[in-house]
Amino acid sequence: MDVLVQLLLNGILLGSMYAIISVGLTLIFGIVRVVNFAHGEFLMVGMYATYLLGAHLGLNPYVSAVPVIVLLFVLGAMVQRFIIQPLLGADEHIQIFATVGLSTALINLALLVFGADLYSLTVPSARQAVSAGGYTMLVGQLVMLACAIALVGGLHFFMQTTALGRAIRATAQNRNAALLMGVKVDRVYVITFGLGAACVGLASALVIPLYPVTPTIGTYFVLTAFVVVVLGGMRSIYGAFVGAMIIGIVDSLSGYYIAPDLKEVVYFAIFILILIFKPTGLFGFGRGTE
Amino acid sequence: MKVVIKAALAAGLVLGASQAFAQEAVRIGALYPFSGGLALLGDESFRGLEIAVEERNAAGGLNGKKIDLIKGDAVDPNQAVGEARRLTSVDRVSVIFGTYSSSLALAATQVAQLAGIPYFELGAISDPITERGLKYVFRTNPTSKNFANRMVDSVAEAVAPALNVDPKSLKIGIIHEDSLYGQTVSSFQVARAKEKGLNVVETLPYSAKSVDLTPVILRLKSAGVDVVLQTSYQNDTVLFFRQMKDQGFKPKAVIGAGGGYSTRDTAQAVGNENIEGALNVDFPQYRTNPQAAPGIDEFVKKYQAKYGIPPRSGHSLTNYMGANVFLDAMASSKDLKAESIRETLLKVDIPEGKTPTGWGVKFDEKGQNTRVSPFLMQWQGGELVTVFPPEAAVTKMKAGVGTN
Repeated sequence: MDVLVQLLLNGILLGSMYAIISVGLTLIFGIVRVVNFAHGEFLMVGMYATYLLGAHLGLNPYVSAVPVIVLLFVLGAMVQRFIIQPLLGADEHIQIFATVGLSTALINLALLVFGADLYSLTVPSARQAVSAGGYTMLVGQLVMLACAIALVGGLHFFMQTTALGRAIRATAQNRNAALLMGVKVDRVYVITFGLGAACVGLASALVIPLYPVTPTIGTYFVLTAFVVVVLGGMRSIYGAFVGAMIIGIVDSLSGYYIAPDLKEVVYFAIFILILIFKPTGLFGFGRGTE
Repeated sequence: MKVVIKAALAAGLVLGASQAFAQEAVRIGALYPFSGGLALLGDESFRGLEIAVEERNAAGGLNGKKIDLIKGDAVDPNQAVGEARRLTSVDRVSVIFGTYSSSLALAATQVAQLAGIPYFELGAISDPITERGLKYVFRTNPTSKNFANRMVDSVAEAVAPALNVDPKSLKIGIIHEDSLYGQTVSSFQVARAKEKGLNVVETLPYSAKSVDLTPVILRLKSAGVDVVLQTSYQNDTVLFFRQMKDQGFKPKAVIGAGGGYSTRDTAQAVGNENIEGALNVDFPQYRTNPQAAPGIDEFVKKYQAKYGIPPRSGHSLTNYMGANVFLDAMASSKDLKAESIRETLLKVDIPEGKTPTGWGVKFDEKGQNTRVSPFLMQWQGGELVTVFPPEAAVTKMKAGVGTN
């Protein structure tokens, strides 16, 4: 029983990390409709940026989060403007190749600049363990959970109430109709892509106290993020959050009760089952929207 | 047009001249990853070979002939094949030295074999490199089986005495990353433990890309594991140590299989106080007793003089040791034909404790050195020091892991 509760807690905390990363991908993959294989590398860039700010300027990652979020927004917006936009008219596969290329280029750039060694930022405050009733959690993980909830709530509020949010939703529903209604679709795409990347910026500042950064760190997270987004119904931010929690808990439980190397098998099996019974994902908007 | 012809003629003359000179020299290939993700330790490995060759050239070369080192950059197995082809067919080297990484060695050795060129492996540990019946492939360094055996034997020979308990009473947990490296080492561990009658209670593979190892740790904790044997890379080692502390899991000993356990980066990321006491089986590092490894201190001095920094890892030392064994054999062989070199190598007989790595040399029919065994080391005060076997040890082994 004790172990089960601890595993559930770990799963929820792990899920909140997947959530923050996946919410960004929901915006990019679900709304702009770009299969962004460089999403993990955005995380890597953000983590190196946080590391540099921490190691050279002595900034706490939670403070560096602000400049890193801005940096990643700019990076995302530029990728959309200068790489994806010229390809919007082209075949979808071309965009995939473009993001795969970007991913490879960023990994190798990091290898060139930082080498294959890992860099780690020591943040004792975030690594402090909190014990409650015999169960342990880290402060950094709790911050991550709080941020995930705040981010999902904030984004939902933004999408529902602001003009820009409505424009983003309109573009997601029907690009041509939005264009006819006077929405500057290209600009909406640039901003949405930037926002998606900015979420990753937040994620990187929260992740670095817990994981050291290497050029390939992004590849550890990206596949899971895609699963979470599809599971959540592509365009739903809530869906991504719930999907992330499911994956986190399944990951934690199956790693213990089945086998650590089979946990991917378990969550992909659940993923396939959900898609069989609900092809548009948990929070999908019905057939044809996926 | 005229200019071009003249230039071509001139180039031809220069080429002819250099070929004429090359016949005076012995050409040997050095196949390592010099760029890409493996470059750091690939280059570190090469430096050992480079020092050995320069030493020999300074002493008059190989039977009076100068040795020319020709580099091949093997970034991945494809390129290893390409560069091995270039070295054997274009540069016409007599032998190839390599390779640091097992996947590169597995690919390149086949090319060398087809060309009938001896291939001397100084650093890759995968067992099949010398088990595929390739006649001219020889290896001086230990294999993953040697690593696994040393890890399991250490439980009985070093850990149990230090804890003052019967080895059979210790519960062993084997955890490993699930690629070829971890699978190979752990399967040898399981076999060895069975042979020695030790009690393995858990064998848990996990993905090296795992972002959460708490399920693994909770399994070990629930099973009451006393000694953990881990085969891992850097990231998963760091994650394991961090989460072990977070989850309050306190085994009596943790033994790593080189890899992630050997680098200073890992120690820094984990924190010296947390990695304190962690055991590690690997190639000899520099904190080894020079009595058991004669020449180790001289090598460090030469390295420092040439590159201006102390060696970055033990790879240069093992490559230096192996290179000398093969260069000696080439010098005493009647000619540089593959068959003659093989004959000479099979006669080499150096007892243990007479080389800078402490290893002896005796090749079996397959070309594998049988007098090798990696040492057991321990992190103490932020340094990796040799603690076992006693003749190579610089200090006593401590019991316990971390400060808790």
